[in-house]
Amino acid sequence: MRDRAVVYLKLSPLLLPFAVIFSTGIFLAFLQSLGYFLPIPVQGGLFAAYRSLFRSLWFYQDFAFTLYCAFCSALLSVSVGTALAYGIWRLPIGLQKIGVLTKIPLILPHIAVAFIVLMFFSKTGYISSFLFQAGIIESAEEFPPILFGGRGWGIILAYVYKEVPFVVLLVSSVLKKFEYARILTAQMLGASRLTVFFRVVFPFLTPVVNTSFIILFLYSFGAFDIPFLLGESHPGMLSIQVYNLYFKRDLMNRPSAMAILVVMFLFSLVFIYLYSRLAARLEREGRKL
Amino acid sequence: MIKRVLLILLIVAVFLFPLIVLVFYTFAPGWSYPDLIPKILHTGGLQYVWSQHEKILRSLLTSFVYSLLVILCTFLISIFPASVFARSDFRAKKFLESLALAPALVPAITFSVGIHYLFIKTGISDSLLGVVLVLSIFSYPYMLRSLTSGFLAFGVEYEVCARNLGAGILQRLFMVDLPLLLPSIVAGSTVVFLVAFSEYFLVFLIGGGSVESYTGYLFPFLNSSDRAVASLLTLIFMVIPILLFFLVDETVTLVYRKRGML
Amino acid sequence: MKRFFLIILFFFTACGLVFGAGSPEQGEPDWLAMNFDQIERAARSTKVSFYMWGGSSIINKWIDTYVTGELKMRYEIELERVPMDASVFVNKLLTEKQAGKERGTIDLLWINGENYKNAYEASLLFGPITPLLPNYGKYVDEKTVEFDFGFPVNGYEVPYGRAQFVFEYDSARIKDPPDTFEKLLLWVKQNPGRFTYPQPPDFTGSAFIRQVFYALTGGHEQYLTGWDKELFQRKSRLLWDYFNEMKPYLWQKGKTYPKDVASLDTLFARGEVDFNMTYHQAHAQNAILTGQYKESVRTIVMRDGSIYNTHFTAIPFNAPNKPGALVTANFLLSFEAQYSKNDPANWGDFTVLDLNRLSREERELFKTLDLGQATLPVDVLAQHAVPEIRAEYLEALEKGWEEHVLRQ
Repeated sequence: MRDRAVVYLKLSPLLLPFAVIFSTGIFLAFLQSLGYFLPIPVQGGLFAAYRSLFRSLWFYQDFAFTLYCAFCSALLSVSVGTALAYGIWRLPIGLQKIGVLTKIPLILPHIAVAFIVLMFFSKTGYISSFLFQAGIIESAEEFPPILFGGRGWGIILAYVYKEVPFVVLLVSSVLKKFEYARILTAQMLGASRLTVFFRVVFPFLTPVVNTSFIILFLYSFGAFDIPFLLGESHPGMLSIQVYNLYFKRDLMNRPSAMAILVVMFLFSLVFIYLYSRLAARLEREGRKL
Repeated sequence: MIKRVLLILLIVAVFLFPLIVLVFYTFAPGWSYPDLIPKILHTGGLQYVWSQHEKILRSLLTSFVYSLLVILCTFLISIFPASVFARSDFRAKKFLESLALAPALVPAITFSVGIHYLFIKTGISDSLLGVVLVLSIFSYPYMLRSLTSGFLAFGVEYEVCARNLGAGILQRLFMVDLPLLLPSIVAGSTVVFLVAFSEYFLVFLIGGGSVESYTGYLFPFLNSSDRAVASLLTLIFMVIPILLFFLVDETVTLVYRKRGML
Repeated sequence: MKRFFLIILFFFTACGLVFGAGSPEQGEPDWLAMNFDQIERAARSTKVSFYMWGGSSIINKWIDTYVTGELKMRYEIELERVPMDASVFVNKLLTEKQAGKERGTIDLLWINGENYKNAYEASLLFGPITPLLPNYGKYVDEKTVEFDFGFPVNGYEVPYGRAQFVFEYDSARIKDPPDTFEKLLLWVKQNPGRFTYPQPPDFTGSAFIRQVFYALTGGHEQYLTGWDKELFQRKSRLLWDYFNEMKPYLWQKGKTYPKDVASLDTLFARGEVDFNMTYHQAHAQNAILTGQYKESVRTIVMRDGSIYNTHFTAIPFNAPNKPGALVTANFLLSFEAQYSKNDPANWGDFTVLDLNRLSREERELFKTLDLGQATLPVDVLAQHAVPEIRAEYLEALEKGWEEHVLRQ
């Protein structure tokens, strides 16, 4: 009994701020979406904000667009990051130092990464200048609309640039514990380079890959900094919609902004739950191999 | 062999080259398409940044200070719970562990807008304290995970030995746990510092403009056509974390060497 | 066990919700009843936080260098500029008012238009303050600053400057720029991908669609009498048709719009589009002087009319340093500040002072101020100037654009 009390006590520095700040924050968002705690009274009844939200086409379009951007950036980051980490790990020890360069985007704030993407990929950006000088395109118009083209590639590119180093970091730390001997064995048994990677190394990496994917997907889903600089007009990212409704429109729109936040929160919970179950099942089957 | 060279070239091109372009931009605000190298150099950007150096240094210092405070705060939040998660076992443990990680997984905007209201009501919005608290809530999971794996790495025997020899809780903490946890503390602090130092939106929301963060100062320039100042400020930004990590790395190595752990 | 923890969680969350009823009432002297000398004395050696739109590095520079320097020298006031959009700080004040925050962080605001109207109607402003300021009584012709976007000022905001909407283009690339909106549409169709405008509700983008609205529907006078919903519904259809016709020929085929005027600035400076637009009539000259624009950039206004507006400063209800804010607002109305502001090397914003009330030397200085080759002469601007209309039209236009043009 005393042990239990000690456990509670030790957990309190975590639980107190968690409850008072984090869950209160979520609760207030929920209550404000219903119309309470607002500077001016809102008409329409308790769930009016939700009703109008679910009736609006733009909400579904923005939601789908946000999911799409989050999924593509997480998938690309995880793939490129894992491949990069593996490639660096296979380099001779002396050359592995070059891996330090991959940490640069980690130090840059998201807004700076967005700026760099702007500099390079806009129609009059650096890559466009390069293609022009190389004679591949004749004018700025011919450069494909990567940024602001309506497909979110600008956002995805920026997220990938920022997230790949994160994946490289995580995967590298796991690879350090991998026995190189296994690769040699596989090669001796005649496995090709690709087979070595996918059948020998990758199953070892699945837990960290799954964790990274969840983290990165949810981050790209809800973050604000990068879409603020590179965002598209329509459809746009949900976080920017929330910002517009909360800060740039009149107060009547607050409940809608909060309603979007509540939906995003619930979605995140559902996603974490489903993905963890899926990942656990895949890992179990993977181990059978 | 070729593959290796290609890989190295790719890494340099993708990760190092943008920084070089930033340096170019610092000296050439008018650099535009389709020049690959700027034709006209103009020091207007440098002059402006120099003229504002007081304000810039103040905001760098503010960001630095609150990032350090966030490290302290997340450490205080996580240290005891980490020991509980690593050492004890009770039925709700798995549930609590997952719950504790939620603020880092769930998008920050979902709870920070509500937090903003709470902070205004309690008077800590627009203050350094508010900013430190909100950044801590959102970054403590990294510190928690780091410390938990740190605790898992060394067994409970050291602590038991110490307790048997009569050491109290605090003594055990300072003389046994912390030194053994040092690598985890450093790892966790690194992540927390970077997250706090680079954050723009949360600091802007909760700090409301009265907390002079560096990212808050940098942001309007990134959005403008004044690329020289934007590039220069970004480069300046990077100096702090690089210096800091270098310093910490050296110090930790020294400490470990002194204590004979290396 | 799980349940126990959840209960504890809920309990603490509930505590968090019930927490605190705001800071205790602080007694404050009644500044509205004092004379300016007393206010000035109280403002000495204090800090003033000036919240303003931070999207123009030119304006930021003027505030950070000239204004900050002068205030320090004259009153030992330490001015701090905080970049924040007007709609954002109005929302912030609204939240603070509702949460009962009696002592805020904003001393002085740069505000006008619908933001002013929203702030006034929600009782977010301190005032009336213009009677307290000596420079206001001395130099300002009240009739010229009675209304802000058709809404009565009532002394709650202090005039600051006058801006007029202009378009910028590179005269080396475009020899014969369009000077009516009809011609503009034609030009855009002939030059696909080279024109765009900031997405409303950005201030400049909103002003752009407003001007087109005047031009297409027969002028602004019909809207000056008051908000007429039926009139608006009828007339705005022409506007949506115009923009939807223009849409496929815009930059990025109209799929995305630059999210604010700063982004459009960058596109123009980089040569990605051929036109910029701005409410800052001397911006082109200033950008030429700082090396961001080529020397051949010029400005133009549409013959159908170019909107001008007056912009103001105001003090929030919970400003922690009201005397400091009053002294600052008064300083910004002084001859020296207004003249410095008018110089395109600093900002280029026009003055709100009544030139007839200045001394002869001061008037001469204004008249002979060189606005630069890229800025249009004052009389040309005045010829085509049209006023702003009521804020209800503004909001209806912004919402309508979003619904009928963006989301099509």
